[in-house]
Amino acid sequence: MRRIGVFVCHCGINIAQNVDVKALAEYASQLNGVVVAKEYKYMCSDVGATLIKDTIKEFKLDGVVIASCSPRMHEHTFRRVANDGGVNPYRVEISNIREQCSWAHSNKGQATEKAKFLVRSSVSKALSLEPLKPSTLKVIPEALVIGGGIAGIQTSLDLADDGFKVHLVERDPSIGGHMAQLDKTFPTLDCSSCILTPKMMEVANHENIELLSYAEIVSIEGSIGNYTVKIKKKPRYVDVDKCTGCGDCAAACRLKDRIVSEFNQGMGKRGAAYMPFPQAVPLKYVIDDKKCLFLTKGKCGDEPLCKKACVQNAITFDQKEEIIERKVGAIVVATGYDVMDPTLVYEYGYDQSPDVVTTLELERLISSSGPTKGEILRPSNQQKPKSVTFILCVGSRDETQCTWCCRIGCMTALKQVYLLREKLGEDIEINVCYNDFRSFGKGYEEFYRKVRGLHTNMFRGRPSEVRTMKDHLKIDIFDTTTSKLFEIKTDMVVLVPAMMPRKDTTQFARLLHLTLSGDGFFLEAHPKLRPVDTFVNGIFIAGCCQAPKDIQDTVSQASAAASRAATILSQDELEIDPLIAMVDEDICTGCGICVEVCPYEARTLNERKRIAEVNDALCAGCGGCIAACPSNASIHKNFTKKQLLNMVDDIM
Amino acid sequence: MKKKYALFPGCLMPTEQYAYELSIRETLPLLDVELVDVEGFSCCGEPMKSVNQLLTLYLSARNLAIAQKHHLDLFVPCAMCHLALTECQHILEKNPAMKDRINDMLVAEDLAYTEKRHIVHTVDLLHDEIGVQKIKEHVKKPLQGVKIAVHYGCHILRPRELGRPDDSENPQKIEAILKALGAEPVNYPQKLDCCGAPLLANLPESALTKTGQKLQAIQEQGIQGLVDVCPWCHKMFDSRQTKAGETVAAKLDVPVVYLTQLLGVAFGLSAEKLGLDLNLSPVEKLQLEAAK
Amino acid sequence: MSIIDLTSMGEPQSEQRKELNDRLTKLQDEISDYCFQCARCTSGCEAHKLLELEPHKIVALLKRGLINELVNADVIWTCMTCLKCRERCPQRVAPVEILFALKNIAVANGKQIPGKYTAMLQSILSIGLIQDIQQTTTRTNKTVKREELGLPPLSKPTDVAKFQAGIMKIAMEKV
Repeated sequence: MRRIGVFVCHCGINIAQNVDVKALAEYASQLNGVVVAKEYKYMCSDVGATLIKDTIKEFKLDGVVIASCSPRMHEHTFRRVANDGGVNPYRVEISNIREQCSWAHSNKGQATEKAKFLVRSSVSKALSLEPLKPSTLKVIPEALVIGGGIAGIQTSLDLADDGFKVHLVERDPSIGGHMAQLDKTFPTLDCSSCILTPKMMEVANHENIELLSYAEIVSIEGSIGNYTVKIKKKPRYVDVDKCTGCGDCAAACRLKDRIVSEFNQGMGKRGAAYMPFPQAVPLKYVIDDKKCLFLTKGKCGDEPLCKKACVQNAITFDQKEEIIERKVGAIVVATGYDVMDPTLVYEYGYDQSPDVVTTLELERLISSSGPTKGEILRPSNQQKPKSVTFILCVGSRDETQCTWCCRIGCMTALKQVYLLREKLGEDIEINVCYNDFRSFGKGYEEFYRKVRGLHTNMFRGRPSEVRTMKDHLKIDIFDTTTSKLFEIKTDMVVLVPAMMPRKDTTQFARLLHLTLSGDGFFLEAHPKLRPVDTFVNGIFIAGCCQAPKDIQDTVSQASAAASRAATILSQDELEIDPLIAMVDEDICTGCGICVEVCPYEARTLNERKRIAEVNDALCAGCGGCIAACPSNASIHKNFTKKQLLNMVDDIM
Repeated sequence: MKKKYALFPGCLMPTEQYAYELSIRETLPLLDVELVDVEGFSCCGEPMKSVNQLLTLYLSARNLAIAQKHHLDLFVPCAMCHLALTECQHILEKNPAMKDRINDMLVAEDLAYTEKRHIVHTVDLLHDEIGVQKIKEHVKKPLQGVKIAVHYGCHILRPRELGRPDDSENPQKIEAILKALGAEPVNYPQKLDCCGAPLLANLPESALTKTGQKLQAIQEQGIQGLVDVCPWCHKMFDSRQTKAGETVAAKLDVPVVYLTQLLGVAFGLSAEKLGLDLNLSPVEKLQLEAAK
Repeated sequence: MSIIDLTSMGEPQSEQRKELNDRLTKLQDEISDYCFQCARCTSGCEAHKLLELEPHKIVALLKRGLINELVNADVIWTCMTCLKCRERCPQRVAPVEILFALKNIAVANGKQIPGKYTAMLQSILSIGLIQDIQQTTTRTNKTVKREELGLPPLSKPTDVAKFQAGIMKIAMEKV
């Protein structure tokens, strides 16, 4: 005869105000198989835990039902408590009388009756729960980091310094990300490349880091501790072992200075053979196969000039795409963000005038390694502008575009105001149209004050539109600080566009089984308490792929993600939850349907025994195979058909 | 394939803006559009929106119900009417309580609104339903050398969420049609500015100032003329141009034509048929071949 | 507890504010409460330069509940309904629709209807259109008539009594 104990939690008044907890415990104590039922204010507290443990011992319990909150909250806690008390942790059943009962109903009498049904069905399940033992899995002490911006760089370095092998995959020919495009960083005005380049070099030279640039993730299989990753290495058409980064190929390229440079945000030009920027890592050239004459048309004059120019003989047009495989124990996703396309706010004139630019484009003009060597020139006439006007919140905090705050726009604009003043001197006019100035970080408010002292015209308001006039741009702005409408005639307009999820976030999320939040960025497991975890064990997120943030926060989060990944990688083996699928070998016909439906590739067909098998390490316990099995040979441990039907019977 | 619509004339076009109506009736049948004259239409209600919005809804709904009775979609050449009818349909579809309430009132005239109608304006009828290619095929006298600015009119562009005949911020359909006719549309910064007409009822001076400012800007940029697609806008820019000029102390002489008039000219129709002598602005300056 | 406007000694009318917002939701999805005073509406307002209409201020006053002040102000009748405020509002607030509501309330409260609105309304009542056939001339000052141009007769309500009955009902009702 089984001996079940029922523990009813008040959850303060969360449950108790709508469910008569005393009556519920009294009712539970009468149920078949129940030897004791108790209620207490907070079962999850230390006192509650002790109460459960003591009761287990006193009544020699062999199964426990906890009537409390959702199992998502405290199932883990109560399993541990039961284990400490001497009951197999998988013989604990949670009856959710909070989310599914007290919170959902207002009539106390009816809620109590419903709670009784719920507890009765949980007791019936508890009576048939099997004791289970978790199996173990060897952890591969290597990590995959996806994305080589500042987030991915920091995570990789942290993990590599901890002694773990890191595979860093970057889609572009060089790591560095958006940070490499910046001239200075706010609020300290550190030179961006001066602080970033050493880190990039460290990545290149670290013995524990394998840098896979110009590469993309093709597939990810497996689970925490043991992932198999397929990576596509795009052909560079340059033998990286031979290339010295001398630049002779780029200088010789027939298309030199004729292709829009992505790195320079279209403000400069490059050739088909190119290096994205002088500090690129790896310092290897690449040939753009979408533009190169030889690769697109099969002909480049008499012969490709780059090949002729390369003394190292590094140009290899027959290079092919290559798929490689790596096995890792943990994954950190640091894929960054996209800048919103400013043509989405057409009325701000980005499409109509070359003198309307984005902050990132201006950054390239300010940068001494940029297309103008740091000279700020008005794009339409290459003259020094006499007036520059910033418009903040372009597409941000906007229900028709991006509802969120980009968190860097205000400070970016203030920084650029500072740099323009420094570079262009006192005599130019600088206007800023802002909604609110958000200067929340350390040293930010002080920086804002500093810029206020640079006789900048701050207008509190949003322009309705930017008009492209014959030789200038015109903005009407109603300034709410003076309650006046001003007309601004200006040479250049700098738009501060919203930060958006990467265009391919949805497909990428599907590849990794990650969840997205409503805004389209990757969703963290808990906004406060698990900010870098995802809902997939062993996969972590860092940087702007989770939400817009500045470099400071990105680096902090990157280190946090590294540390979370290290908690997995530092273990030799991991326990595997035993609540997974199994096969009744006597019934299984080996039809293979379960193999097809399993999204985790945890199912294989044993040809010799002519049955399907479950790989415990890969099975996520989703239940897909149970529903698909035509002969009922697939069984979900402790969620058997009999157990569930008994529960239903008890509720009906 | 012949397209068939009930022509919803509204108030302004059939009581004074004959040039629009004439040119519509002359040109659209050439493009296989059958226009059906339906008895019993009334004002769309838009001019009453400031006074009583329920009245606006009621009037729009009764017109939609009349079209429904004849199983016809609606061709609405007036921008204001087009917005009123579209918005009414949007509200009735979205808000069943309001639909019931309006239908209760429509009983007085033995009418009921129960199904959605397709409501087109000149711009989307020409550009989307007929298509630029087909228009091009009908051109007999290309409007070579006609460089002209376009005025869309606020009500056919906004609000975008109701679905308007063209993009709210970068409308290009009239430009595409003009190019098909051989003319050259000219861009100008004031393109989306209002004609001022909605203020005509209570602040006529201000309304005309608005008109004058826009025409003055066009004139100062040396643009040959202006094309429009709404009887209200046209009333301001063409019929009242002289008065509008007085408000901005300028002698305005900007030729203003309806798009359908240009369409007719390019199709080789006579000036008379297209009502070109009804335009009060100096359209002869455009040197449209048929206008001579 | 209470809030009072010390310049006018006016108190917010929260009931009317709620009523007005309810009315707006019946006609569209937006309500004024989301406005964060960026004044993009006023920056682009077609009526502002000529007539000092400040749409963002209208919304602010509405949010503050100062409805009477708004209803009695002549400035609410200066809107050109260009709809740019509604189109470009980053918070999907529609000042133009708020202004329609305020004007409707002013009329319902018996405030003098400005300009030709009354005449247009009377014309609608009698013939279904805001105006009857106008005298029209050509550029060379020749008078023309609709029928001379070969245009068909006006489309207007056929049974005027029934038409008027429908409209009279509405005069008594609010949105």
